[in-house]
Amino acid sequence: MFKKSVLLLALAGVSLTTLAAELRVMTHSSFSLPKERIAEFEKQSGAKLAIIKGGDAGEMLNKLILTRANPVADVVYGIDNTLIGKANAAGVLEPTSSKVGRNVAVASLPGAVAIDYGYVTLNIDKAWFAGSKLPLPATLDDLTRPAYKDLLVVENPATSSPGLAFLLATIAGKGEEGAFQWWGKLRDNGLKVAKGWSEAYYTDFTRNGGARPIVVSYATSPAAEVFYSKEKLAESPTANLLLKGGVFMQVEGVARVKGGLQPALAQQFVDFLRGEAVQKELQTSMWMYPAVAGVALAPVFKHAAQPASFSNPDLKAMQHKTAAWVSRWTRLVIKNAP
Amino acid sequence: MLELRDLALAFAGRRVLDGLSLQVAAGETVALLGPSGEGKSSLLAVIAGLLRPQHGQVWLGGRDISRLPPERRQLAMMFQDHALFPHLDAAANVAFGLQERGVPRAAARLRAEAALAAVGLAGRGAAACHELSGGQQQRVALARALIGEPALFLLDEPFSSLDTHLKQQLIDDLRQRLSAMAVPTLLVTHDRHEAFALADRVAILQHGRLIQVGTPGEVLARPASAWVARFVGFDNVAADHAIPPAAFLLGDGQPLRTVKLVEPRVEGCRVVVAGDGGDWVLSLSARELAAQPYPQRGGRLAVGVDRAALLRW
Amino acid sequence: MQKVLPLSDYRWLALPPLSFLLLLVGLPLSRLLYEGGLAFSPALLGDAYLQWRLGWSLLQAAATCALTLLLGLPLAWVLAHFEFRGRTLLLRVLMLPFVMPTLVAGLGVLALFGPHGLSGLNLQDTPWLLLYGNLFYNLPLLIRAAVDGFDHVPASRLMVARTLGASRWRTFWRVEWPVVRPWLASALCLIFLYCFSGFGLALLLGGQRYATVEVEIYSLVAYELNLADAGALALLMLLLGAVIALLYALIERRLARPDKRSPPLRQPVQGWPQRLLLLASLLLLALFAAAPLLAVLLRALLADAAAWRVLLQDDTQLALGNTLRFSLLALLLATLLGLLHGLAAQRSAGLRALMFLPFMVSPVCVAFGLLLAYPAYSATLALLVAAYALLAYPFVAKAVVSARDALPAALPNAARTLGASPWRVFWRVSLPLMRPALRRGMAFAAATAVGEFAVSLFLSRPEWLTLTTLIYQHLGRPGAANLEAALVLSSVLLLLALLAFMAIEWPEKTHARTS
Repeated sequence: MFKKSVLLLALAGVSLTTLAAELRVMTHSSFSLPKERIAEFEKQSGAKLAIIKGGDAGEMLNKLILTRANPVADVVYGIDNTLIGKANAAGVLEPTSSKVGRNVAVASLPGAVAIDYGYVTLNIDKAWFAGSKLPLPATLDDLTRPAYKDLLVVENPATSSPGLAFLLATIAGKGEEGAFQWWGKLRDNGLKVAKGWSEAYYTDFTRNGGARPIVVSYATSPAAEVFYSKEKLAESPTANLLLKGGVFMQVEGVARVKGGLQPALAQQFVDFLRGEAVQKELQTSMWMYPAVAGVALAPVFKHAAQPASFSNPDLKAMQHKTAAWVSRWTRLVIKNAP
Repeated sequence: MLELRDLALAFAGRRVLDGLSLQVAAGETVALLGPSGEGKSSLLAVIAGLLRPQHGQVWLGGRDISRLPPERRQLAMMFQDHALFPHLDAAANVAFGLQERGVPRAAARLRAEAALAAVGLAGRGAAACHELSGGQQQRVALARALIGEPALFLLDEPFSSLDTHLKQQLIDDLRQRLSAMAVPTLLVTHDRHEAFALADRVAILQHGRLIQVGTPGEVLARPASAWVARFVGFDNVAADHAIPPAAFLLGDGQPLRTVKLVEPRVEGCRVVVAGDGGDWVLSLSARELAAQPYPQRGGRLAVGVDRAALLRW
Repeated sequence: MQKVLPLSDYRWLALPPLSFLLLLVGLPLSRLLYEGGLAFSPALLGDAYLQWRLGWSLLQAAATCALTLLLGLPLAWVLAHFEFRGRTLLLRVLMLPFVMPTLVAGLGVLALFGPHGLSGLNLQDTPWLLLYGNLFYNLPLLIRAAVDGFDHVPASRLMVARTLGASRWRTFWRVEWPVVRPWLASALCLIFLYCFSGFGLALLLGGQRYATVEVEIYSLVAYELNLADAGALALLMLLLGAVIALLYALIERRLARPDKRSPPLRQPVQGWPQRLLLLASLLLLALFAAAPLLAVLLRALLADAAAWRVLLQDDTQLALGNTLRFSLLALLLATLLGLLHGLAAQRSAGLRALMFLPFMVSPVCVAFGLLLAYPAYSATLALLVAAYALLAYPFVAKAVVSARDALPAALPNAARTLGASPWRVFWRVSLPLMRPALRRGMAFAAATAVGEFAVSLFLSRPEWLTLTTLIYQHLGRPGAANLEAALVLSSVLLLLALLAFMAIEWPEKTHARTS
């Protein structure tokens, strides 16, 4: 047995050897692009792409901050508008811009180049509401009424990006005090808090065997439901519930890392992400809207209503107050303190 | 020749061996006799190299082997519960040492089968150890110990787990083998019958010291202390002397003494009488009993002592 | 009988595993604490909420230990005393819960006891579901350890006890319990530490209310970058964990005694009472250990044929290859470290306790500490494999310690006098005799390496995709096809793990007797 193991070890040891220059790209764990696209960039630039996944976006940024003395990446993708202020303040990013699609960008990020955007909002299980005859809530306040008791699951803003985005939207929509009053009532009305999106969507949402027909998710989720359906649905089983103060616009971007070893290659990568091919493909690989205007939307996106408005706190407020808001939220909702 | 020089060993402050010296000649068997827990097994472990003494040396064949690890001491050892390797069959157990000394596996196996045949276990080489009886296990252990032609043979209570009948048979068998080997043999036991049956000399261990060494006859004739006398089996031991069975005089002319206890034995009986300065225990043979009325508890028996035959120390 | 101590002890063997622990746990954790500057807010420990959370962490860990013991010991007794068809396979299958990704296990549990569960009983968001989940994950550990312990009770001793008039129960209590105790001690210690610092399942099944302190540490580090408070909490957890581990080590060292080995005596099942007993035991096992797995399997089998096409995707092939490769590498490293640590720990309670260090430290603190301590190596395969091995090797070490304790000193001693050097004694006597336990430890280690998701806290690369991460990737997107792909992949993972367990614990030629 041991001899065999040693042999296998030797085989396994045939490792990844790097040839040309290597560009280290730090991303959050949801980053995904078709392999051909990656290969194309490597061919164009003559460099090897080393993609390093750093966990959830917030976790990833903290890893960058901790290693700023010895940067572990040359370029970072996935920092969004909730985190950009913190990132800039920590000085981990090199101010980055791109000439590609400069004049037609729909979204922007200070100091970074916006690549895509999307909306965090409530999703509902259509079948459940059809069955229950309960009218859809028309306002956030409706959710605190007894009729909607035990129907909502949200992600914990302390451990999940969509959870945080939704909290920020309510604060922008209702004002800080109004928002926390609302959260307090929501708590008393049977709010369920899940650790992350996967847990909420796959164990609590009625669509997947849970007990809650309303979940905090993304505006593109209904489209993804169709895209990843088994029998090629004509209509999405879920829908967006776009309530005032319940929609957050998330803008994700890319930036060079301060102290990175390959600034030129990093810039090339930034431009590449802004290019038409990537802008087109990221729609169904990461389920976000392209940041560059004029790029055709994937047909499946017709199944998701694009929100007409959203409520985001301003960037400065997000930079300075997010931590306090999250801890206040935790005190109120989880610790059940007044 | 095996020579132990001034061995000392202590566990956590408790002295187990205390300046012990002993010589065992080639071809000689010495039985180390002592109560349980008096350091006998520790002494064997020291000789085997399994324990390192705090002081003293072990010499074998004119060579100081104190610093050698056990595997280079060229000795064989029999363990209390045989210590057969449960994952190996009988022949593989016997062949174990040969393989360690470089004999190829197949050749070692052949020799092991032969050695098993020599101890009466022909054809049982493939048997798993637990399939063998206690006596058979003991013989496998013996074959395993002797196949390597050791320069020294150590036996640690090798018969303690066997029944009396089997024990006698194996002791007789072992005695023959020992006399055929010209190596020093050290046997550890707490059973004086075993010791007297096998040993040329007996060494008695108390509190980590040898308090008497001699042939069985010498020890029986001149025990070195009351403790030794009691330990080698004398029933009537006083502070400064013991009364050997032969010193008792029975019959006419002897003072009448009260019988306190009578226990029948296979041949004769065991009687306790109120003697001078304490109770005497006598074993009366059938012939002695025939010469007088059968003793009754509470009755009287004429018993005296031949003062000249007392053993004094 | 005189206790013969070996010539020298082998504590120096602990050098490689201790250096490994120092490099992978000690230094990174110190580095993290240094970064935090030890400036934690004193109010932290006074926080009633946190105290409650700590209390809950301790309580649920203790409750799980008590429950697994209560449930697992009788089950183990049955598995150890009766011979029946499929017994060996059952013992392998029993370890499968270990490899299940938490979220998938959660799906399985909810398929049974969720709002629309098969049982009709909705336990979601109750502490019962959490305890059930903990049982699901930990019962295998206890049962395997206890069966091993029961197998070390010589059959003759059982028969003696019975002939001396002891009932089965009294025999268990007076003869078997003392032998099994040390085996249980280590398993319980592990279970306690697992539950105490547990992260995934507690949160998933119990909801946020039943979150453990580790969750608090995670959000302090990963989201707030409050290393000071996180470090203080991590130290507190480490301290509590260390107390438990040391307690275990002292208990085990006191209880452990070598045992004469003889093959276990197993009865064929005869008569109705015994058949009923076996049936009841198997049903209980099925309920607690197999049901969530079966639910997952069933859902995967009911999925479209199209869902199984996920197996043909490049990503799946890559993940399969990586899972095998990483697990194998981690297993080799874990076996080496575990053997060394286990052998060295025989006479040192401290070393025994240290064995469990990987389970006492907060994973997220270690992950961030490693990043701080070795930025240059942070995204290397070596670090990844080392992290897997770190979490896997205590299983090997634990098994080796228990097996070494049970090995009578006379056997190695006899081998020495027969001319074997210490190394040869290890190779020809100790290792073969410890092999069943070692293999059991290795199987658990492999299971940990296959299923461990704590490693996701480290930097990773897309080309290091494993089955577990692939499953989570699918569950990171909406859509029925993703859910089915995750279920299918989980079933593949189960099958793969089962094959691995069977290979690692391939039945050796045993001399088992039946009466």
